[in-house]
Amino acid sequence: MTPIVETHELWKIYSMDGIGIEALRGVNLTVESGELVACMGPSGSGKSTLLHLIGAMDTPTRGEVYLQGHSLAKMSDAERTCLRRGNVGFVFQTFNLLPTLSALENVEIALRLARISAPLRRQQAAELLERVGLSERMRHIPSQLSGGERQRVAIARAMANQPALLLADEPTGNLDTTTGEVIIALLRQVNSQGQTVLLVTHNPEIANQADRVVQMQDGQIQREYFPKPNTAT
Amino acid sequence: MVDIAFKNLLARKTRSILCILAVVVSVYLNGTTATMNNRMYDMMTSELAKYMGTIYVQQAGSSYPPFESSVAQATAEDILSRNDLGLNLAESTPLIFVRTERGMMPFMSARAMVIGVPIGREPVLLGNVDAVEGVSRFPGEQTTNVTILGDQAAKYYNVAVGRDITINGKTLRVIGVLQRSSMESVNISTIMPLITAQRLFGKDGVVSAVLLTASDVIQVSDIAATLRQEYPVLEVTTQDDMLEEAQNVMHMPLLYMSMMSVTAFVVAVAVIMSTMIMAVTERTREIGTLRAIGASKRHILNTLLAEALILSLVGGIPGALLSVPMAAMMQSRLPTPIQLIQIVVFALVAALIGVLYPAWQATRVEPMEALRYE
Repeated sequence: MTPIVETHELWKIYSMDGIGIEALRGVNLTVESGELVACMGPSGSGKSTLLHLIGAMDTPTRGEVYLQGHSLAKMSDAERTCLRRGNVGFVFQTFNLLPTLSALENVEIALRLARISAPLRRQQAAELLERVGLSERMRHIPSQLSGGERQRVAIARAMANQPALLLADEPTGNLDTTTGEVIIALLRQVNSQGQTVLLVTHNPEIANQADRVVQMQDGQIQREYFPKPNTAT
Repeated sequence: MVDIAFKNLLARKTRSILCILAVVVSVYLNGTTATMNNRMYDMMTSELAKYMGTIYVQQAGSSYPPFESSVAQATAEDILSRNDLGLNLAESTPLIFVRTERGMMPFMSARAMVIGVPIGREPVLLGNVDAVEGVSRFPGEQTTNVTILGDQAAKYYNVAVGRDITINGKTLRVIGVLQRSSMESVNISTIMPLITAQRLFGKDGVVSAVLLTASDVIQVSDIAATLRQEYPVLEVTTQDDMLEEAQNVMHMPLLYMSMMSVTAFVVAVAVIMSTMIMAVTERTREIGTLRAIGASKRHILNTLLAEALILSLVGGIPGALLSVPMAAMMQSRLPTPIQLIQIVVFALVAALIGVLYPAWQATRVEPMEALRYE
């Protein structure tokens, strides 16, 4: 079976004031369908950069990213946009909800971009918010929601188009511990329903709740391990 | 995307309202200049219609109406006694023109004026313009303290037949109010016997112009040429000359109006552009988020376009409608529905041009902008 994600010798070099900064240095990673993988490492280790390249939000300096067997390098901007819309769901550390839209409309927007008809998308968005426990808060705009609620809306939005891959960049980074646990539980719940999840965190406790942990250091994968009993590599 | 555009505009109410107000003013200005152009064009064409087959003789260098012109009455009578020129002398007359109220702006025509015409020669001036009330002819040689008012003049002085009005200290009895004429100068005139006008305005022995009618229209050029040769100190004006002069006189006001219109357009474009640039700058992260979750550049473009078009429509429609009372106030032709639509289209075009640069900026926002602040 084709892996959801495959990276081959992935390099990303940023240029800052004429100086090349190597954010990724030849990363090879494979994520299988249905996995919950945590990418862990200190700040600057390249984990977020890796997530952005996998999510077709950025392009690598060298190397290849394959999403469901398709090379992102060969895709045009419009194709990558289409891929982000249908195959990848994003959960951001700072939620990134549209401030003028209600929770329901924020989820709907993803469905609207996918050209789902208005009645259907309204129904689907409502169902998604119900799944994340926000059926009572659908009409509220983000500023009327708590951090945890906003992140749940963001997860519902990311799930809207039933993406092959859910990417979460420090999804608990702006939340208190208790709320963070709720969000991780929610991500585990969607993963248990078959959703592939790749999350980035610098928190070992959160990472250890994943099926597999990819530990990064200085733009390279330092080691991978399975945090559940008797699965360390 | 229209609903999202609405919400984005509502989220920034003050800025949106200010932008809409600016569009209203720009569109209103544009509509008003169109109305003023209509009015000037109407006045020019109605006045020129009067000159078919006629020749005006007035002091050299004076314009029409010849308020500044002064021709000796003896010279006028000399011309009017010429049987050799091919003139229809029964349809020719000396006239006096006096401006009693200037236009609102220097380039505008007078708001009220006096025309003095010899008793019995009123038909030469008025043609087939009848009275809506009273008479359109003076009663006789002995009754000189009377006046006939043009349609607008009656409204201006707010009098009816049988009432008195005072012009330059002299009380005159209103004996008739004329129906609206195609000649704007007649509409705004207080028409009185020539001798009365001469006394009232200290013009004894002089007239402003001599209105001559050719026996045959095709003789107009020949008659004018002869008069120019024999009376070199006078200006002889035919319909063709009037057209040329009218075009010369109208050139600057029309240019001025066009400049106002262009300025209004540039202001509308600038206001919409600055509003949309601010919107894009403030919402870079939102746009990045939309790109990150799969919004195409076209989606982003459409949202901004919808916002700009809403601003221009919400400002453009009232702006266009405001030009209607302005036209009524100026007693000009009311803008037709087509003209109103054109004025609204003016706002839409301004929006389309104004949104070009911010839209281009917005489509260049990369998905990574969504994470720039994390």
